[in-house]
Amino acid sequence: MIRKIIIKNYKGYEQATIELQPTINILVGNNEAGKSTILEAVHLALTARIGRLHVSQCLSPHLLNRTVAKNYLAALHEGKPQPPPEIVIELYFETTPISASLKGTNNLLKEDTAGVRLWMHFDNDYAAEYDEHLKDAKAVHYVPTEYYKVEWLAFNGTSITQRSLKVNATLIDASKMRLQSGADYYLQRIIEESLTDAERVRLARTYADLKQTFATSAGITALNTILEQRKAHVTDKAFTLGMDTSPTSVWEASLVPHLDDLPFGHAGGGEQSMMKILLAITRNTDGSHIVLIEEPENHLSFPRLNSLVDKIGTLCEGRQVLLTTHSSFVLNKLGLKQLLLLKNQTTTRLTALPEDTQEYFKKLSGYDTLRMVLTDKAILVEGPSDDLIVQRAYRDTRQRLPIVDGIDVIAVRGLAFKRFLDIAAVTGTKVSVVTDNDGDPDAVQKKYEAYKQYAHIKICYSIDATRTTLEPQLVGCNTIEDLNAALGTAHATLADVIANIGSKAGKTDAALKIFESPHRLTMPEYITRAITWLAQ
Amino acid sequence: MACTIIIAAAGAGKTERLIREALADPTRRVLITTYTIRNTDEITSRIIKERGVIPTNIHVERWFTFLLRDTIKPYQASFTEPFRTRAIDFNNQRPQYAKRGTEEYYYDQTANLYQDTVSDLACLINERAEGKTIRRLEELYDLILIDEMQDLASYDLEFLDLLIDSTLSVIMVGDPRQATYATSDSPKNKQYRGFGLFNWIEERRKKGLIAVEHMNWSHRCNHHICNFADALFPNQPATQSLNATTTPHDGIFFVFQEHLHTYTARFEPMVLRWSRTTIVASHLQQHAANIGEVKGCTFDRVLIYPTQPMLKYLKTKKPDDAGSKERLYVATTRARHSVAFVITKAFSSPLATAWHPEK
Repeated sequence: MIRKIIIKNYKGYEQATIELQPTINILVGNNEAGKSTILEAVHLALTARIGRLHVSQCLSPHLLNRTVAKNYLAALHEGKPQPPPEIVIELYFETTPISASLKGTNNLLKEDTAGVRLWMHFDNDYAAEYDEHLKDAKAVHYVPTEYYKVEWLAFNGTSITQRSLKVNATLIDASKMRLQSGADYYLQRIIEESLTDAERVRLARTYADLKQTFATSAGITALNTILEQRKAHVTDKAFTLGMDTSPTSVWEASLVPHLDDLPFGHAGGGEQSMMKILLAITRNTDGSHIVLIEEPENHLSFPRLNSLVDKIGTLCEGRQVLLTTHSSFVLNKLGLKQLLLLKNQTTTRLTALPEDTQEYFKKLSGYDTLRMVLTDKAILVEGPSDDLIVQRAYRDTRQRLPIVDGIDVIAVRGLAFKRFLDIAAVTGTKVSVVTDNDGDPDAVQKKYEAYKQYAHIKICYSIDATRTTLEPQLVGCNTIEDLNAALGTAHATLADVIANIGSKAGKTDAALKIFESPHRLTMPEYITRAITWLAQ
Repeated sequence: MACTIIIAAAGAGKTERLIREALADPTRRVLITTYTIRNTDEITSRIIKERGVIPTNIHVERWFTFLLRDTIKPYQASFTEPFRTRAIDFNNQRPQYAKRGTEEYYYDQTANLYQDTVSDLACLINERAEGKTIRRLEELYDLILIDEMQDLASYDLEFLDLLIDSTLSVIMVGDPRQATYATSDSPKNKQYRGFGLFNWIEERRKKGLIAVEHMNWSHRCNHHICNFADALFPNQPATQSLNATTTPHDGIFFVFQEHLHTYTARFEPMVLRWSRTTIVASHLQQHAANIGEVKGCTFDRVLIYPTQPMLKYLKTKKPDDAGSKERLYVATTRARHSVAFVITKAFSSPLATAWHPEK
């Protein structure tokens, strides 16, 4: 439904264009990358609300991008008066019979398409006040958003209302779950929205009937007779008790959804979050409803998350979903191709990812693909012991751990190497692979042949076929004394050392000892090569 | 042929016909538009009376509202800044010095459009946007219904040509005989003003662009009134009266001023005048209406304060003597049973009978 989002001067975004897929879009990025801002912006442009308040009630300098605000103030202080910067959020829609009426070229790109714009800008009716305000420009320390107006417009050039927009959005933020009973605005909205017009009318009517029945019941009539007798000194008018029939007294205020007879607000956070997400995505619409989900993994145990993600995957057929997550599991399950990586105000997609790699991670969802996506540089290693040795080698050469330099060391097992490199090939992440030669260096070279074309990918392994894995390699470049010192052992021969640290059980133990030992070992050449290359 | 123009005699039920068309198929997206606020309200209330609500597939809009919302704003960016246009300035005239095609020709200081430049700009924007305006309308509607099309003039007609050319179904109903005022004072298409609209329609019919239908009957007027009104436009087909009711006072009359009290007391006619400045007997001033304001209305009887040309016509029977034939046509065809003209001095007419209280 939404093809493209343009955000100008809103919060973290100075100017950003985000292309969306018509199905699921998984927004991924480090903290502060602006994931939530995008969800908020979409929700804002579709409802003119921030949270439950109308945007005009939350208009403040904090909505404006900081750099833009700073530049504006700097210009004022230099004696260059200028109009306060505008905030624009534009959503470009697919043109369908439903959205056709919103079509026009009133947008930043002058593109002929259906779409909406939320526009916060200086209101010229305040020209006199603003002029006055600028007289002491040096004293201006914030952007005067009190002189702004908010306009909610369609690309056809006219104002819109929620009703005329015909496109709606539900924002579900499991981390900000409201727990008070009966008054959960979001839940009520979701329920109400999931009803058809006819069902909504029936609900309202049934509720009105109920109020009527109550008001005319024998108990109440009797009570009113008593009141009427006692009113004597209070008033001359008829004095009775009746139900509130004003439009503000609607069913939402009195009816509370129950789960197994438990009021919804008293159910667990995970249950509530899951219910809301499912209600929102099962809503019966004509494809004009957009679901925005913040971190669905919150509050959920692993099996619950698994079932929720499965449902999101199947139920969102033909529906647009924007979802933020910090969970590789969610990402893998829903498909890496749906990913939208946010970094430095730009977005990247993994659309070039081979189909079989995406399928691989869907099936083996435990892999930490998100780390691979988010990091700037990575070293891929074979397992936990290699991880420790590489980290130690890094610290030995550069006096700090790789993570400090933004380098993530990721342990990947055998077959998954190539899958991870497929991701790196698309994201452009600088990666070195530290791998065993398993006694056949030629086979290793052949295995990674396809990645030779990428300058940002380097495969490091030893060409010494006699030393098949990391442990023999370590033994090969150190003396028995050094090894004993680092491992805290008293082996007589190098063969003993290999027998000890080469075993499956001894491996990780030994690596941990080497990692923590004050005694420094010489590291195999292919490891230092990987580190030096990456640090360049 | 996707465009039909229905020429309907006064009282033929043309608005009713449009409403039938609009309600016929709930799957069609329909726009009904007309020039006056009064008629827009009339259409709206008739649909509501029948259906309780305006069905979601139907939009009823004033011509100007339609132009502004659907033909100016969506592609204004091909002429000016996006989102610039606000509304229509009905109070001020566009500056004389401004040149057509410049912004100050169309926009006042506060980004409102001068009334008589709106359809002009609509055509210009569609042209600059390479026909996007019309494409958008084609996506938005299946059928466009235009009531009282005779009220449209100048660049409105250019815009109608764009609609005729489009893939939209268009039905326009109107009566050039009732063209008493126009949307625009612009000299463009001056030759088609008022009754001249017949020629505009005829040119397009001959080119095979439109089909023309006639509704040559009147549910309202008796045959005396139909004949009288028809005589003003001898080239148009005769109107058949479907009002067969007879009353003791049927036909076309003239009434001497001294008999006015008796006449109005006996028949209670609706009093019609040319304009506010017409001098009307003091006891009738409260109830008099301008001819231009009663279009679409029905009265049992009308009493008309004639203009000098009207009086001349009553004597000569030459339509060209009648001044605004359109106004005379409108005034007489409001009545079901009788039309009377107020006379101040001795008078005779081959078209009307003298009324005398004793007769």
